[in-house]
Amino acid sequence: MRKDMEDTGGDIPLKKRRFRIVMSVGLFLCVVMFLISIAATPSGLLGVDDALRALVSAIEKGGVNLTEIESRVYIGSLPRTIAAVGVGAGLAVAGCIFQALIRNPMVDPYITGVSSGAGCAAIGVMALGATIPFLDANSMFIVPLAAILGGLAAFGITVAVAEGAGGSATNYILAGVIVGFAFTAFQTIFLSLSKDNLTDAMGWLYGSFYGIDWETTFLVLVPALGISAVSMVWAREFNLFMAGEEQAEQLGLNVRRFKRFMMVVASVLTAICVAFVGVIGFVGLVIPHACRMMLGGDHRLIMPASLVLGACLMMLSDLLAHLVFSPTELPVGAITALIGTPVFAYMLMRRGRGYDA
Amino acid sequence: MTPDCPSGNLLDVRDLCITFGDRQALKGVSVSVRHGSMVGLIGPNGCGKSTMMKCISGIHKNWTGDISIDGTDTRTLRPSEMARTVATVPAEAGQTFGMTVAEMVMLGRYPYVDTLWWEKPEDERAVLNALETFGLSALRRSRVSLLSSGERQRVLIAKAYVQKPKLMLVDEPTSHLDMRYKLEVMEYLRSMAGTGMTVMVAEHDISLMARYCDSCIIMKQGEVIATGRPAEVIDEDLVRRVYGVESRIGLDADGEVYVLPKRSVKEATL
Repeated sequence: MRKDMEDTGGDIPLKKRRFRIVMSVGLFLCVVMFLISIAATPSGLLGVDDALRALVSAIEKGGVNLTEIESRVYIGSLPRTIAAVGVGAGLAVAGCIFQALIRNPMVDPYITGVSSGAGCAAIGVMALGATIPFLDANSMFIVPLAAILGGLAAFGITVAVAEGAGGSATNYILAGVIVGFAFTAFQTIFLSLSKDNLTDAMGWLYGSFYGIDWETTFLVLVPALGISAVSMVWAREFNLFMAGEEQAEQLGLNVRRFKRFMMVVASVLTAICVAFVGVIGFVGLVIPHACRMMLGGDHRLIMPASLVLGACLMMLSDLLAHLVFSPTELPVGAITALIGTPVFAYMLMRRGRGYDA
Repeated sequence: MTPDCPSGNLLDVRDLCITFGDRQALKGVSVSVRHGSMVGLIGPNGCGKSTMMKCISGIHKNWTGDISIDGTDTRTLRPSEMARTVATVPAEAGQTFGMTVAEMVMLGRYPYVDTLWWEKPEDERAVLNALETFGLSALRRSRVSLLSSGERQRVLIAKAYVQKPKLMLVDEPTSHLDMRYKLEVMEYLRSMAGTGMTVMVAEHDISLMARYCDSCIIMKQGEVIATGRPAEVIDEDLVRRVYGVESRIGLDADGEVYVLPKRSVKEATL
């Protein structure tokens, strides 16, 4: 028997087993959801086998000269499904990181004001037709870029205020809330000043994968999935935070540096997620909690589980968002909440005891 | 354990000073603690007990003076070396987000783990051994937040124990506990001191300290005002000076010191 396989009767073999189960079930769910999502094109349902066949032939053709059914899959549903994977995974992992760092159950990825800053800037650009230097006024990247910059600006102000107050978890939460209020106020002003673009603006504020195409989808997927996956390298350090910052420091972690670094990482991750598809709530708050309730406190299980479950929930939500009242697209943020609330309420009632004390 | 330094002390603190804003929390504290002993820190709230422990464990960094453990200047220790040298037990666990007992205790192995993802079998064995030692084996899959305060305190001690430190710093471990758990915790700390670990514990129950500690360090307003064996140091005058409390101190039928607080004394008469 290999030394590292030796069963000491401790928890690690159990965790390894759980990890394998979580990953295989999660990835299986992801594949199933992915297939269903690409088959449910915005212009109507296909059979999964037809959709797959169309997908394969569209890829073989390199995306040109597509038949109608191929383009429905290859252009209509595939890019937004891929983007949903990235955004769902990214928001869930970002939520996981913030909850661990701040050790407060109410924390979600928007706690440091990223969403308000992004919303304010995006609405500003959409409603007022503001432009960004060096970028064409009609460029499709103008809103996402404004959102990323706005989100990071809000995050920067939150950090400055929180660190100025001493840098405690409560400081961060309060600073994030007040900075969020300020940016939301500007956003409201921009909204009330806008005349023609109100629908666009509202759509962005509640999140939508409508209009995601091949150019943007990888700009979402690659960084979101990449940052999410890489941040798991620090899963054990996040575990240390469960014993409190002082204990983490005493166990050899440079808490201040680590916290700052991971806050930046998680905020960038959040900004990337909201930039192209808007503010989608709920996933980042509830998926990490659900994973903690199911799997205990070890981030080596929670983070990968959050990643796959976040991706699944987002694919499912987008599916429902464009299917239920087709051809009208519903805001995906509303769907995530509508699916998630009953499921989470059930979990909370069954497993909430002793979860947060 | 053979001492590596000529003094035979595990811990030597010289002229330790630290200032927060304009408040000088420690004013030139010097103490020495012998290898394998259990030493009690006694003093009123805010006298600098916790602050001194945080300087020793490296949580506070802006102190002046010298702290050496086993002959090594703690300033020269890297964080992971520090974590293998000193462990701290906090008074409370705080929010643990559904962590289980075994997961919590495993955190103490962090300074030893060099693998990327999972801990090694030897870490597992250290944790299982600690759970056994502290009577937590049956609770190992329970959530820390569902335990009683006494059990939670044992989890925190077990976590520090698997760090295999030379020096364990324990801050008010029994403040939330009933008398049975108080005694139990002190007995666990005492037994660790017997295995070569040196234990420094801050605590308000002087009778308890007098019973379990080899020596005690009495602090007031950031200064050490007395050190020595409990029976020699603790008297009614000292309790009056340090706590501002009139007390009766005597020996019980077993010859152990007890302190019976009677009434508080007005500041002016101190």
